[in-house]
Amino acid sequence: MGTILEVKNLGKHFGGLAAISQLDMGVYEGEILGLIGPNGAGKTTLFNVISGFFPPSVGRVTLRGRDVTGMHAHEIARLGISRTFQASTLFMKSSVLENVFTGFHLSYTTRRWKRLFRSPSARDEEARFRKEALNILEFMGLASLSGELAANLPHGHQRVLGISMALATHPKLLLLDEPMTGMNPVETENMIGLVRQIRDRGITVVLVEHDMKAVMNLCDRIAVLNYGQKIAEGLPREIRENPEVVEAYLGKHGTK
Amino acid sequence: MVGMNAVLAMTFLLLLRTGLITIAIAGFWGVGAYASALLSVKAGLPVWLALPASALVSAIVGLVVGLLLIKKGGISFVMLTLVFGFIIVLVFGTFEVFGGYTGIYDIPPPEAVRLPFFGLVEFTSKTPFYYLMLFLVSFIALVLKAFYAAWTGRAWNAIGQGPRLAESLGVSIFNYRLLAFVIASAAAGLMGSFFAHYYGSVVPATFGPQKTIYVHVYAILGGIEYAFTGPIIGALVMIVVPELLRIAKEVEPVFTGIIVILLVMFLPDGLLGLFRNRWPSSPVENLGRIVRWMKDSFRRVKSGSRG
Repeated sequence: MGTILEVKNLGKHFGGLAAISQLDMGVYEGEILGLIGPNGAGKTTLFNVISGFFPPSVGRVTLRGRDVTGMHAHEIARLGISRTFQASTLFMKSSVLENVFTGFHLSYTTRRWKRLFRSPSARDEEARFRKEALNILEFMGLASLSGELAANLPHGHQRVLGISMALATHPKLLLLDEPMTGMNPVETENMIGLVRQIRDRGITVVLVEHDMKAVMNLCDRIAVLNYGQKIAEGLPREIRENPEVVEAYLGKHGTK
Repeated sequence: MVGMNAVLAMTFLLLLRTGLITIAIAGFWGVGAYASALLSVKAGLPVWLALPASALVSAIVGLVVGLLLIKKGGISFVMLTLVFGFIIVLVFGTFEVFGGYTGIYDIPPPEAVRLPFFGLVEFTSKTPFYYLMLFLVSFIALVLKAFYAAWTGRAWNAIGQGPRLAESLGVSIFNYRLLAFVIASAAAGLMGSFFAHYYGSVVPATFGPQKTIYVHVYAILGGIEYAFTGPIIGALVMIVVPELLRIAKEVEPVFTGIIVILLVMFLPDGLLGLFRNRWPSSPVENLGRIVRWMKDSFRRVKSGSRG
């Protein structure tokens, strides 16, 4: 099993505050890696650095051996890392289908002027994207809502739509930021199934999540961050029994 | 005049769609006007060549200015476009080539052309200008429509609605905003060129930021959600209504001010926004809706109740 993403000696400082420091981490091809830690541990910052929204202060990020440190977010998206956002970040005024359609931005192959003049080949391409978007929505269980405005979806469906859009970019690596937050147990169960199926399609998944039960249930491996540093990494069972992790979550007194 | 202002308002909405508020519209309008004036008066270029050439000049200026300003984004972009709006007036007024604050005179109208169906068209009265404007507005609207309908329109929408999400899907915010800025500049420049040949003279003061504020009012009055009909309705109302009410030129700004206040208070979605819920999908349905709405209004007026 090769490594798809490698983070070496990564640091991100905001003024005097180190959101991440000296972080080394690897993500294996085809796994589901859980990223957990108390609030403010630097999990989302790590996502922002990997996906190119912030340049790191120090360190390196490599994707399949290629250095992607400091690239712009849209360039990183082109290389195959896609992400979702913590809050429901969607194109609220557009329909569900249009939202997913926007995810094909990088997939066009016809020439630009042909697209502007709506040549037959450009139309074929659009039709193909439409079909694929519907396939993705079918797969994610949103097909019946494809004409609805994103703003009108219930919260759980909005999260699912966020992931559908990320899938439309044909990612190799998918970063999910708290995909289950605010979901009821049934929706959470459903989401676990979806993430597994996404992985089975050959997409590596890294997810930040606070729902411990879901994380333990879903992830192949788990990494724990605290104060911007990795304090543990391993199988779910090992993490659950790791005293340092328990301490980080419950405080020193919790370990008594 | 309505057509020209409508196009300027369209360029405002184009940039607004990408999340940029520009106060430089009148500046680019001026760049087109001065480029055309210089090209036809000083360089002796035929007007029919000066028209596209000045759009090109304006696009190039737009590219350079865009490269400098667009990275800033947000409120800095707004302020910097305002600064550009002031500077361009100073440039026109100060440098000898542009004729100083008295501007450039004797700009020729377009040469007579022989067209199929129309015969020989001479630009001696207002009518041919009217048709030329109609043609230019349609042309620009078609070009804009092509961009809106293609992947570019989707990218612009995405940037306007959620820049971070758009970026995560691979849309380069900078490149697509720059593209919109250049297209807007070219369209405004083309309108400027028309203006120069229509009036026959250009003076710097015409192209100040105050004009841009008017353009904003046209766009917002029509309804910012409506990329084409909004500006046309807005410009039509703002130009025709004062005319009909025979409002003197001096008090016209007061009228505009009142319109702006009413807009902000009662009509944030513009005039067309009034119809949004009645005007959603198929034309036939809409026609039925309009007829019913008119009937209802009529009945309400007759019964004297104001529901």
